[in-house]
Amino acid sequence: MREFFVPKKGYRVVFFIGKGGVGKTTSSAAAAIALAEKGYRTLIVSLDPAHNLGDVLMEKLSDKPKKITETLYAAELDMEKLIKTYLKHLEESMKHTYRYLTVINLEKYFEVLSFSPGIEEYATLEAVRDILKKGNEWDVIIFDTPPTGLTLRVLALPKISLIWTDKLIEIRKAILDRRAAIANIHGEQEFTVEGEKFKLPTRENEDAVMKELKAYREEVAFVESVLTDPEKTSVVAVMNPEMLPLYETERAYESLRKFKVPFNMIVMNKVFELKGDVPELRAKLEAQEKVLREVAKKFRGLEIVKIPIFPEEPRGLERLGTLGGKIIGD
Amino acid sequence: MKEREKSPTENLKAFLRGFFGAFKHSSTEYLEFELRELENVFALILMGEFIGIPSPPTTLVIRLLPHMTRELYVMQRRAVDMDDILGELAGMFEIT
Repeated sequence: MREFFVPKKGYRVVFFIGKGGVGKTTSSAAAAIALAEKGYRTLIVSLDPAHNLGDVLMEKLSDKPKKITETLYAAELDMEKLIKTYLKHLEESMKHTYRYLTVINLEKYFEVLSFSPGIEEYATLEAVRDILKKGNEWDVIIFDTPPTGLTLRVLALPKISLIWTDKLIEIRKAILDRRAAIANIHGEQEFTVEGEKFKLPTRENEDAVMKELKAYREEVAFVESVLTDPEKTSVVAVMNPEMLPLYETERAYESLRKFKVPFNMIVMNKVFELKGDVPELRAKLEAQEKVLREVAKKFRGLEIVKIPIFPEEPRGLERLGTLGGKIIGD
Repeated sequence: MKEREKSPTENLKAFLRGFFGAFKHSSTEYLEFELRELENVFALILMGEFIGIPSPPTTLVIRLLPHMTRELYVMQRRAVDMDDILGELAGMFEIT
């Protein structure tokens, strides 16, 4: 078995990434089944809004892990529902806290917020974090991801969030410093809004904003630490022997390297292997050869597995299991 | 009648309190200005979406908002007094 599928520190997280339609779901399901057959408690989660994990496994799935076999569990996250509940929850807590504050029009703010760019990525990241938090219940967690663009942004988010949080913590420290200096001279400072009095916090451990910043930083740092640990996380790129998926894989490779997320393997899916000579397919085969050569050259040192195109789509546990065996290197 | 008249020492004390109070006040004038600006900037960054600058993680923004009463208030005041910032600066540096 390939070592980047083996759980070393508690659990193993594997992301299957790739362009739309290359076979991410099939490959990830296959790998999950093969791992489960080896006795690892395996959870496969689909983050793709266009769900078809259930179709591949021929089971109806929901956002709660469903038992497929003794060791295999599967779930499909409903992104839209996730975003809705996420915003609903926030809106309620906000309204509660801001009862007395009519200085700004919060309703309007929330309207803007629900369409704010990146909300989908943040919701996805939250979902991934929730699963990783309970990671110890599993040996292997496999994520079937949305097409590359969104996934790369999600994988990059922890790092970007950390940069933001650190900057905000810096400003907050400066604010608290000044408040403390003023309080030293004039005594405790108060602030009144609509008849309610607040004491202005001057110390980090009594400032709610600072506490929230630090709590958030810790949560993000946890995800970041899991994602960048080669003992815990691996990324498998799925692609077809065509030029466009190759370009996309290259870009993914570059940006994952930038964010220090391990990239371990390429599954070359739907490779034509013809016995006789079919003149109509000759150009296609030549193009395929070219891509295969390019891949071998560009991703030297990376594990590349070729999966031939099947006359029938591989569905169902048994056939997927055999295919998965090839992917995990069994 | 007698009660209203304070002893000379008390008068002196009150005078000194006022005298040093003024010093105390002017000693923190710059600090307070700086603090207000920082609070304003902090709120502005979190509200960046409104003015078209990239904004920090939405999750973080929303989690911070409930504790940001003071900063939002300062930001609002700052926006209202926008055209008087130069005046404030001039006053602070005693340019008249």
